[in-house]
Amino acid sequence: MTDNTNIYKPLRANLVDVIEESPLIKTFVLIPEREFVFSTGQFIELSVDGVGEAPFTPSSSPLVTDKLEVTVMKTGYVTNIMHELKPGAVMGIRGPYGRGYPVKSFEGKEVLILGGGCGLAPIRSLLFTLEHMKDKLEKVILCYGSKSPTDCIYKPLFSRLNSIDKFETYRTVDRTEEGWDGPVGVATALLDKIKVKIENSVAVVCGPPIMMKFGTIRILEMGYRDDQIYLSMEKNMSCGLGKCGHCMMGEFFVCKDGPVFTYKEIKHNPEIWK
Amino acid sequence: MKMEIEDLKKIKFFEKFTEQQLETIASISSVKEFMVKEIIFEQYDELADVFILLQGSMSLGISLPKDKRIHLGTIEEGQLFSWSAIFPPYISTAWVMAITPAKVIAIDARKLNAEIDKDCDFGFKTMSKIAQTISHRLSDTRFQLMNQLNL
Ligand SMILES: Cc1cc2nc3c(=O)[nH]c(=O)nc-3n(C[C@H](O)[C@H](O)[C@H](O)COP(=O)(O)OP(=O)(O)OC[C@H]3O[C@@H](n4cnc5c(N)ncnc54)[C@H](O)[C@@H]3O)c2cc1C
Ligand code: FES
Repeated sequence: MTDNTNIYKPLRANLVDVIEESPLIKTFVLIPEREFVFSTGQFIELSVDGVGEAPFTPSSSPLVTDKLEVTVMKTGYVTNIMHELKPGAVMGIRGPYGRGYPVKSFEGKEVLILGGGCGLAPIRSLLFTLEHMKDKLEKVILCYGSKSPTDCIYKPLFSRLNSIDKFETYRTVDRTEEGWDGPVGVATALLDKIKVKIENSVAVVCGPPIMMKFGTIRILEMGYRDDQIYLSMEKNMSCGLGKCGHCMMGEFFVCKDGPVFTYKEIKHNPEIWK
Repeated sequence: MKMEIEDLKKIKFFEKFTEQQLETIASISSVKEFMVKEIIFEQYDELADVFILLQGSMSLGISLPKDKRIHLGTIEEGQLFSWSAIFPPYISTAWVMAITPAKVIAIDARKLNAEIDKDCDFGFKTMSKIAQTISHRLSDTRFQLMNQLNL
């Protein structure tokens, strides 16, 4: 955890590797100066000295506490500078913050995961956790969509997961390219081909807001109740500690009460898909 | 080749159909096979059959000037396509091509329309499923459009 004397003081972390996942997405492999414990779905504030910080959900396994991986999409000021960093740089970590996935309650169930774009980052951490507890799960189904085959991140992850008992993965792309022979279409279209026992299942949706909206609607249509659906909400944040109010969504502080919510908790919130 | 009732029962589209309604479907449908890259129909073709894909996979897209084709989506096993065959002017809104060897059930659209008129329950079940297919296609297209526009 962060130094108790100053809640805003980051932990130092050495950047040991930078993995290029797609033209806009890189994974930063960090060795924190001391053990860093988090639960899957919680987020951190990752900083570059003299530049600023931004919230990210670790994409590595929570079972590994001496190394942390964060997958970052280049979208603006801070993330552009992060993408320029090379191994050997030092970064800062605050956190972990918020409420992650209640994985204990997934025991005995089928877990359907719908992801899009960079949403696979938090999902990868969840998948590591589910893999670890697979004897207590019925099945894990991952449906993932990217804009094009080039934009798909963690490509080796899919074949690895498909070789694990109880895991099934499906991929699609919005726009095909030379060499792609898989399905074309949006991630939600993959839901038509899966077999799931809805009454004994939970669904996790994580991705860009537009995918979260269309995905949640399709999952509800499949027959899931609103308390069986988990959404990971990304709202603009600042303190990450429930103090500044930047992340407010109705009565909730996304940084403290979330970022993971059931659809039931937030469905009446007018800002849910904004 | 004729379709067997037992095979129809395995198709999700018919999950709520009674035995008698499945017999009706079997009597107005046949099984057809297509080779890789075979065009099932072109955009703007007049359509005679509604299809459900039994085996393989197909590509659905639209044509642009200068013979350019845009691939919009993949049709997977169990999915219905060519729904325009039951609505005037019975003209296809897209092209469909087999991307693997494929087997489909082809339901005679004129006869299907006649059965829909005759039996309200059959008509309701058929139209609900077709409406669901169109609704999915519409929402997927909106989603795809928003993605392409980076909204
Ligand atoms: C809980 C949480 C987890 C996240 N996990 C990841 C992750 O694993 N990988 C990843 O690539 N991104 C993640 N994000 C989004 C990431 O925080 C933003 O992309 C980042 O803050 C943009 O910073 P910037 O300075 O580069 O962009 P800016 O120049 O500030 O803005 C560029 C764009 O990013 C949006 N944005 C800016 N700040 C935030 C913010 N604090 N939260 C959300 N959106 C913001 C802006 O609305 C704008 O559209 C997460 C966000 C949250 C809230
Ligand atoms: S980010 Fe400050 S209250 Fe949530």
